[in-house]
Amino acid sequence: MRRYIARQLVQLIVVVFGISLLAFAILHVLGDPVLLLLPQNAGKEEFERYRHLLGLDRPMYVQYWKFVSRAVLGDFGKSWYADTPAFRLVLERMPPTIYLTLAGLVVAMVIALPLGTIAALRRHSWVDSLCTVVAVAGQAAPIFWLGIMLIIVFSVRLRLLPASGYGTWQNFLMPSFCLGAALAPITMRLVRSGVIEVMNMEFIKTARAKGLAEGRVVVKHAFRNACIPVITVLGLQFGQLLGGAIITETVFAWPGVATLTVESIRNQDFPVVQCAVVLLALLIVGVNLLVDLVVGFIDPRIRAA
Amino acid sequence: MKRGITLASMVLLGVSLLAPADLVAQSRDETVIYGLQSDVQNWDPPNSVLRESIILGYNVFDHLAARDLKTGKVGPSLAVSWKNLDDTTWEVKLRQGVKFHDGSPFSARDVKASFDRVLNPENKLTARGNHAKIKSVEIVDDHTVRFKTDGPYPLFVERLTALVMQSEKVMKEKGHEWMQENPIGTGPYKLVRWNKKQEHVLIRNEDYWGPKPAYKYVRIRIIPEQATQIAELISGGVDIIKAVPPDQMDVINKSGQARTTISPILRTAMIQLDQAGRAGANPFQDRRVRLAANLAVDIDSIIKHVLNGLGDRVATTVNPMAFGFDPGLKPFKQDLAQAKKLLADAGYPNGLDVAFLRGQAWAEPGVVQTSDAIVSDLAKAGIRTKARMVGEVGPFTNLVRDGKADPMFEWTWGYYSIFDADAIFFDVMTCNQPYSVYCNKAFDDLVIQGRSTLDAKRRTEIYAKAQKLIHDDAAYLYKWSLRGVWGVSNRVEYEAPRDEVDRMWIVTPRKK
Repeated sequence: MRRYIARQLVQLIVVVFGISLLAFAILHVLGDPVLLLLPQNAGKEEFERYRHLLGLDRPMYVQYWKFVSRAVLGDFGKSWYADTPAFRLVLERMPPTIYLTLAGLVVAMVIALPLGTIAALRRHSWVDSLCTVVAVAGQAAPIFWLGIMLIIVFSVRLRLLPASGYGTWQNFLMPSFCLGAALAPITMRLVRSGVIEVMNMEFIKTARAKGLAEGRVVVKHAFRNACIPVITVLGLQFGQLLGGAIITETVFAWPGVATLTVESIRNQDFPVVQCAVVLLALLIVGVNLLVDLVVGFIDPRIRAA
Repeated sequence: MKRGITLASMVLLGVSLLAPADLVAQSRDETVIYGLQSDVQNWDPPNSVLRESIILGYNVFDHLAARDLKTGKVGPSLAVSWKNLDDTTWEVKLRQGVKFHDGSPFSARDVKASFDRVLNPENKLTARGNHAKIKSVEIVDDHTVRFKTDGPYPLFVERLTALVMQSEKVMKEKGHEWMQENPIGTGPYKLVRWNKKQEHVLIRNEDYWGPKPAYKYVRIRIIPEQATQIAELISGGVDIIKAVPPDQMDVINKSGQARTTISPILRTAMIQLDQAGRAGANPFQDRRVRLAANLAVDIDSIIKHVLNGLGDRVATTVNPMAFGFDPGLKPFKQDLAQAKKLLADAGYPNGLDVAFLRGQAWAEPGVVQTSDAIVSDLAKAGIRTKARMVGEVGPFTNLVRDGKADPMFEWTWGYYSIFDADAIFFDVMTCNQPYSVYCNKAFDDLVIQGRSTLDAKRRTEIYAKAQKLIHDDAAYLYKWSLRGVWGVSNRVEYEAPRDEVDRMWIVTPRKK
């Protein structure tokens, strides 16, 4: 197990290094950030002065080395746009995104686990077909469309929920449903196929043979085994979830790190983008590591291998 | 499974505990809510180039002069009067009895400190360029200051509306860092709280020297998505939004909860034609081809049918609200036969193919649709365009600045809120400016003459000549000046401001 974790950690470092390199390179390809920082009618000297000030006139490898050697200490420099440390800016905006993705995850599970299980147990029945239809519809509906539809129905027409904003529990309902709905279909399909597969296993026959009630067979024996691929996929989907958060946050004016990242890319605010990308990558890799550990915990066979 | 339930409930509990509660209890009746698409980077207006900063700045700070929204003229604010003693000296008298939000009195020392701060290159403030013509500020007495300018500076009074007055005491005692998030102004509202990218809460300054604002609180909510802004407006979460797209006006007006209000704004749209050959030799270096392009397009019907009337036809690049605008100059009228003839004369009897750099509706609503219409009109005359689309504003402006744009490209100019022909002539139409692809010595001479005298009558004459010149020379493909659309809740009374600065202190409850 310890070797397993160590290997994962080494991979983590390689991944984060790769991502930092990519983030650095892509931004420099995009164009000149100074242009967006100064008024359009600023003179040539002004441009040069600013470029020098930001260190943009130095060779690329020097800029990158400076970035990396500081970044390991949590110093990503100051945001060129907001004049405050990038690390603080990103950290401040992290919690709303984490709450949103967790809430989305909960919504996805609440939808997917029961529906997937029922669909598996009533295979080829109308319930199963209905679940398939819901899954396909859910997967097909773009997040921004769903979000705006929710707003139109619940805020504009029924006036039950605030259309956007952050801070109260009402604000959580629509965004987390929106995000969860995007993740639910794939999870549901996985639960369904997992349960179907497990239900055909020998140990289920054994459980039934020893006279356990069907409910107990499903919950105690089938479900736990069907969970393993689901958890793995949820881990992998975490990155997707963050991607969905960009759209959800934008639609619902959610002050999270996903919109901050997109905005900073637009503003070519290198320090913030680099900081956000590295921290988000760490988060995703961390979640995947956690998933591997959880799966290992549930299934001793994986630990041994 | 049990574990799953515990995890889920822990998450929910965590979410409910950690989500911050709204701290200031404001009643909705006492509050006006303003929606913005993006947040400011700081609360230090001279250290920002964003329009949002200008708008928020106006609500918390004052300027020496301010524009009267009814007449459009610049009038007194913290300055009560000004006069030029000679060509390069201005004397400004200041209002007495004005207090900053921290209680300290406003005086000539603050004016000097504010200008010195922005003019000092070491402070790296982005607004420096706007005021660089000012050489020095001298204190005459507590309420009189004298400005020395570098040569005659006709935009002096205009530009007094462009710098907020900050406190000398704050600069000295608190410093630059602190000022980024803590605005101490003399304006109608004080900042209570700023949750970045989320909202600002302002409270009425009860000691304000001017008329008392009707609403005690202002909430400024940051809502990036336009559809959400409109939903909030209709469902009562927001009272005022700006930059409503033309195709959404009906949604708002038919809701019964809100309405739209329209104002001409200080921004002109055009298609620049590379007369100077900055991106290499091209057909538009020939006046006949530029003229043909102007005659090929039926701008009036595009404004009417594509833009829903949200534009005002102009003869050149000069906005009707800008000083120097010549209302006597008539815009081109579509004349396809003449356009074809001009092309043939120029050596293109079978028409010509040319590349056209196009962007998105960053600052110009409906630009994709209107450019489509222009392209189809041009084709009728034989000017066949090949579009190059650029999706982001940064790279687009880069191409133009670096001389890598196509022989024709979309452009709009907001004058940096300076209501003067000079503000577009110099930046967008003189030789060798980063965003100009027109170069004409005779025109440059007029522009320089115009900025070298304080005599308003003389300047008007010069600018009339200049407009005639660039019109006859068909320097660019002239389009229209823009109109902005605001969405206003039926709770409140508010008119769209022509300088695009939303002043929350003039919003009043709507009489039923």
